[in-house]
Amino acid sequence: MKEQFTARLLRIHFGEADRWHDKPLYEAILAKCVELGIAEAVVFRGIEGYGPSTRIHRSSHWSFSKDAPIQMSIIDTEEQIARLTPFLDAMVEEGLVAASSVEVIRYTRTETPATAAIANNAKIL
Amino acid sequence: MLQPGKAVKVTIYLSDGATHHGAPLYSTILDFLFYRGVAGATVLKGVAGFGADHHMHAAHLIDISDRLPIKIEFIESREKVEALMGKLEELAGTGLIEMKETTVAKPAQITKSREPLTAAHLKIEGHAQMMRIFISEEDRWKSKPLHEALVEAMRANDIAGVTVYRGILGYGAHRRLHKDKPLVSSHHGSIMLSAVDTAEKLRAFLPLVDQMVPEGLVVFSDVDIIKYAYRALETGEAQ
Repeated sequence: MKEQFTARLLRIHFGEADRWHDKPLYEAILAKCVELGIAEAVVFRGIEGYGPSTRIHRSSHWSFSKDAPIQMSIIDTEEQIARLTPFLDAMVEEGLVAASSVEVIRYTRTETPATAAIANNAKIL
Repeated sequence: MLQPGKAVKVTIYLSDGATHHGAPLYSTILDFLFYRGVAGATVLKGVAGFGADHHMHAAHLIDISDRLPIKIEFIESREKVEALMGKLEELAGTGLIEMKETTVAKPAQITKSREPLTAAHLKIEGHAQMMRIFISEEDRWKSKPLHEALVEAMRANDIAGVTVYRGILGYGAHRRLHKDKPLVSSHHGSIMLSAVDTAEKLRAFLPLVDQMVPEGLVVFSDVDIIKYAYRALETGEAQ
């Protein structure tokens, strides 16, 4: 099945060592995405980078600290992303969030309850 | 490039142990010279020496001692040296910098095969689209990993460039949510392909994506591109 709709793409940049309560920040954000039924969320680990604190994020090969740059890509409709934003405001202490409007095509193999729910969020065109 | 005739030879004396933001100081200075387009520079390691602090640095165990003197030498035109000197003085810290008038009898030649790199280095700016494809690492197409097949298909269709990223965590359209433990089933194998080209070329490629991607998300966004291409003249992309 193929659906097409306009959506928002969020890219959140922070460090691997950042935490939210008792777990890594990226796991906490991903769990929140699952809870809100966000359509797509993927976490990427960078090799090297630096952020707002100008502290250089590097993987453990270079230094003893394990603070590689993390980039999360999150995609869903404007309304869904708006539901997520207040949580991001609270959770991301130091980081960068870049948002852009995108055109999305989604391919699904079969209509499962999960995908149907997401499709409802998306108001298929 | 350096021309025959009058030039300045600069020598910077450092201690090997000196660091700049965690990296050896000599490599920071060498990087600075490299990216500021200095024709060439050499780092020499001394066997023994002393500096302003009158501490004798000697190599009793040559490989282990890290306080040995280091000397960085480069030759450039006077204007270029003067442009670099402010930052160099700052970088050299307590080290000594020496400048000497010299004459270049014959400048070094760039190896032939590298020539297009500098000669036809072009910057192209314009509007384009970025296509991101989110799939699973386990997805296959005709017995090969889907992301590999997509890269090959894009190359065959002259898409300007594509990069494959592997996520460390994720879930999405390509994978059903596991109701009880949503994260357990999704700990491996989120793949994102990111391709940039003109809207027409990406749209023309889309029917193939339709065929190849059984489950996944394709995301289009408008981007401004700044492209650095050194082969642009040969391929006629400059027009």
